[in-house]
Amino acid sequence: MNFRQTLTHGFWRDLPPFRLVLGLCPALAVTAAAENGLGMGLAVTFVLIFSNMFISLLRRVIPDKVRIASFIVVIATLVVLVELVMKAYFFPLSQQLGIYIPLIVVNCIILGRAEAFASRNPVHLSMADGLSVGLGFTMSLTLVGSIREILGAGTWFGLAVFSEGFEAFSFMVKAPGAFLCLGLMLGLMNAWSRRRGEIFIQT
Amino acid sequence: MLREIARLVLVLGTICSLSAASLAYVRTSLADRIEMQEDFYVRGPALERLFQRPAQELLAEKLTVPVGEEAYPVFYLLEAGEVTGLAVEAAGKGGYGGNIVIMIGLDPRNDSVLGVEIVSHSETPGLGAKVELQGFRQQWTGLTLDCPVALTGDGGRIDAISGATYSSEAMVDGTNQVVLLLRNHREEILTLIGQRSTDPSGGES
Amino acid sequence: MDMLLLAIGAIFVNNILLAQYLGNCPFCGVSKKLSTALGMGAAVTFVAVVASMLTWAVYHYLLAPQGLEYLKTLVFILVIAALVQFAEIFIKKQSKVLYDSLGIFLPLITTNCAVMGIALLNIKHGFGFVQTVVFSAASAAGFALAILLFACVRERLFISPVPSAMRGTAIALVTAGVMSLAFMGFTGMTN
Repeated sequence: MNFRQTLTHGFWRDLPPFRLVLGLCPALAVTAAAENGLGMGLAVTFVLIFSNMFISLLRRVIPDKVRIASFIVVIATLVVLVELVMKAYFFPLSQQLGIYIPLIVVNCIILGRAEAFASRNPVHLSMADGLSVGLGFTMSLTLVGSIREILGAGTWFGLAVFSEGFEAFSFMVKAPGAFLCLGLMLGLMNAWSRRRGEIFIQT
Repeated sequence: MLREIARLVLVLGTICSLSAASLAYVRTSLADRIEMQEDFYVRGPALERLFQRPAQELLAEKLTVPVGEEAYPVFYLLEAGEVTGLAVEAAGKGGYGGNIVIMIGLDPRNDSVLGVEIVSHSETPGLGAKVELQGFRQQWTGLTLDCPVALTGDGGRIDAISGATYSSEAMVDGTNQVVLLLRNHREEILTLIGQRSTDPSGGES
Repeated sequence: MDMLLLAIGAIFVNNILLAQYLGNCPFCGVSKKLSTALGMGAAVTFVAVVASMLTWAVYHYLLAPQGLEYLKTLVFILVIAALVQFAEIFIKKQSKVLYDSLGIFLPLITTNCAVMGIALLNIKHGFGFVQTVVFSAASAAGFALAILLFACVRERLFISPVPSAMRGTAIALVTAGVMSLAFMGFTGMTN
């Protein structure tokens, strides 16, 4: 992949969590509101860019046997950093996201990109990959969050969308709504990519 | 073989110590700000409702009273050199979803309770979460904190929420911690406040 | 009685998978066959209980006394990763049968958010040691229950006429939504 492809592949070709079916847990858990989805996405993007950077820089130093352990330490450090910064500057959001911020550490996207990309590519490509996949993830989460918030609460980023007569489907902001919404969106994306003549990624 | 193991340990050790060092640095530089944010968003709303004053003003007057293993945050309201309001935070143990943190506001001149507010809880919505309701919390208003409180089932005056005995008990537990604190440390708290209000620097004791 | 309520709450009301959304990757990945789902459920239960006991001890005896609570994410993941490694080596040495049925799932568990999630929830709820053990065993059992039920459904889905765009993960998620709706019926059972 050249630089431009690396920079854009996360927006459609490897769009998480729809095309690259990783990171489903945060996509379900924090998307009850668009704002939470956006915040979570940006936190993941930050961790992804810098974990890719450090791992790419260290890729010749780290012995193969302790590869995964080293990756985990790097990722966990960045996650704790995000936790602290969020608490200091975005406290309400950090309360909303709760244990799902520390859980970024076990988000398969990050370890997956480290193993599949950053550990075998130079720094500038790895950072571009992190940015691209991270922003793709942010877009997806914000989209899912918007749909669920608009239907389930009648608001978008906290602003009222409908007039007062609207009765919200509170189902959408609860757990079953999350699964259903994500499943249907995945189906739509599959149908769309089939129309474009692309092969299915999931089995 | 041995050299390889040494290399593994060295690399992992270096990465771990670098990460620990950088985190410790960030943590110390952000600690004050995090505490301020916590006060503002977690305690601020409760204090505002208790005393009908802007949270910023009330949060500036904070004391921490250590008793054994616990440390109780105390806030106060000063009018013309006299303490007219005191708010004590306590973590009521035994709630269904963990501790229920409550803030009790009282008038120290006659020890009557102005009200109780929930700072944080993780009780079940629709059941234990009813501790937040005005109707339940109202039972605290006007109590005098010279003796421990109890639920009606235990011979006391507080009616438990039906179906949420654990949550109600946690509230009572928190209240009794405040009763004990006032009984044993009342003078100490008032002296601390007195020192602060005469000390122009604000005193960080 | 308290412990029983805690356990029922963790298995049904706040099911780790269907109400707290943790552990979805293995949920969609290995739930295609009943036998693999059983293996994964057992492996997660084992690791979650041991990991929760270890992380609880580490948090309360090492981190909290030093004021290092903020490092819990970093320390917990390392404890879990090390535990999974040891468990794998140990099981491999002890029993070939057990390794074949359980061992292959172990490497996947390090990045299973259910295990890490249970460890973090124990701390968040301020549980004592016994509560921690009960809660993590019950949560993991809830995970195993959900993944087993789901595998049964999926074995049938495989032979049903699902629209081609919905096949695979998409229909799995929709099914999980319906199951989650059923589990919502348990709300209010405890407390």
